[in-house]
Amino acid sequence: MKRILIVDDAATVRLYHRNILESAGYTVEEAINGIEALEKSLLKPFDLYLVDVNMPKLDGYAFLQRLRGKDMSQAPAIMVSTEAAPHDQTAAYRAGANCYLVKPVRPEQLLVHVQILLGEICS
Amino acid sequence: MPLIIKKNSEPFFRDERKRNRDCCSLLEGLADPDPTTRRWAARDCIDCLGAAAALVGRLKVEQDISVREVIFTTLTRMGDPLAVAGLVAFLRSEDPALRNEAIEAMKQLPDEMAPILRNLLADADPDVRIFAVNILESLRHPQVEAWLLAVIDNDLHINVCSTAVDLLCEVGTEAALEPLARLKARFADEPYIQFATALALARIGQA
Repeated sequence: MKRILIVDDAATVRLYHRNILESAGYTVEEAINGIEALEKSLLKPFDLYLVDVNMPKLDGYAFLQRLRGKDMSQAPAIMVSTEAAPHDQTAAYRAGANCYLVKPVRPEQLLVHVQILLGEICS
Repeated sequence: MPLIIKKNSEPFFRDERKRNRDCCSLLEGLADPDPTTRRWAARDCIDCLGAAAALVGRLKVEQDISVREVIFTTLTRMGDPLAVAGLVAFLRSEDPALRNEAIEAMKQLPDEMAPILRNLLADADPDVRIFAVNILESLRHPQVEAWLLAVIDNDLHINVCSTAVDLLCEVGTEAALEPLARLKARFADEPYIQFATALALARIGQA
């Protein structure tokens, strides 16, 4: 069973994404900021990361840069944000994201991107 | 065997100041190549004329996290209009780390932020309105719920309303029940709003 780490400081958003992913059969864990996400990533590998941009202590960009920079994980990462400007998307891809979704994310939209990035369906 | 506590010759907290503590030296110290000097300067310049502007200016280029933390702490301790205006300006920064640190600092200033928040919540930029709602998260102020209810009743942007609902899940009272129901009806086709409002309504109902 594929393991996904949700990294978001908003409890309601984490629960919403968890419900969608668990209903599709994925195993989900949560982190409330980039620091906690790095700690969890050190303990065990994840198959995919779902990462918010704006979080206290360590934001989503910085988290991905450290995850990739320290070569802790090259697992695919979806960045989710309320910000839809092109420069935000560019920053996400530069940080190491594989995909950028603007909140609020619809369940079918999230699942199709997860399945593509996990190689479960073709893009 | 008795426990012998060995006296440590090193002081617990070392004073590593390398410059004079007059205001001119301190403000110059903010740009010193040595981060330790910058950190002490940022800490000690709190009473200096022009310190708020100098600290805000330094934050725009400062890369050392520990120096940034001290600058934010000093600006928060100042809490004067110049310091607050400097923090507010960072809400428009494209650097998320800087933005988030500014938000965390502003959360510590309920009385100073209260008169400004009404304008921030009405800002033309939805991102700034979202960050303003984020500031409300742990702002201990009696108007927080009323501000959030005004947001979910009036703001047209779904992510501003979503952020407000996330917070109402935690701080909402019975007063939020009708506004939440109105928001749920207003965004009837949005799964996230349906989920978040249902959660908030259930939590407030249980409370």
